[in-house]
Amino acid sequence: MTNNLKVERARHNMTQADLAEAIGVSRQSIHAMEKNKYVPSTVLALKLARLFKKPVEDLFQLDGND
Amino acid sequence: MKTNFLLPHKYKVFGWVFLILGIISGIILYATDFEPDVLNTHVLSIYNGDSLFSGTDEGWFKIIENGIVDELSALAIIIGGLLVGFTKEKVEDEFIYQLRTESLVWAIIVNYSILGFAVIFVYDMLFFNVMIFNMFTPLFIFIIRFNFLKLKSTNHDE
Repeated sequence: MTNNLKVERARHNMTQADLAEAIGVSRQSIHAMEKNKYVPSTVLALKLARLFKKPVEDLFQLDGND
Repeated sequence: MKTNFLLPHKYKVFGWVFLILGIISGIILYATDFEPDVLNTHVLSIYNGDSLFSGTDEGWFKIIENGIVDELSALAIIIGGLLVGFTKEKVEDEFIYQLRTESLVWAIIVNYSILGFAVIFVYDMLFFNVMIFNMFTPLFIFIIRFNFLKLKSTNHDE
């Protein structure tokens, strides 16, 4: 799975720490998701989508490995 | 979010204190091979089979005399290790929980691989020493691995 978290974060001018705090997760989680090392739970994906006011599919996409 | 079996973060500091005190006292006991008898006391032995060696009654549920410095050290390491490993992080979330679980799997595999190796190649008193350390190594390996992974996933850019 790939994601546009980094792009969206830049668009909203947020640091990883800002985003982590806004969502209520650790900074490590944001970092791991941006590096595609962690696939978030549905709850976390929906929270991110709600924060960025975008559908989940715009943030997260399946890739060839899925 | 479900974070089963974890105690609140505030207990972690007590965990480190117990763990460090336990390790220091354990190392001193192991290195000097001498147990101070200031803490000799009566303890309940569920089954006392060591009567020839200790000169106490053999049998079930005997009250025997025993120095408890080593018992206290072992308990401090176990309780401290459990607290350090199984209290919540400052910011606990699903990713941290996954790191913890993965570290635990990794620790059990590594620990028993090493123990298996020791079973095959280490004998007699030396193996007894391996067993002493093996009482605690699953916890140690887990704690080290978990903190290593946490540190590794903390980035330094941005």
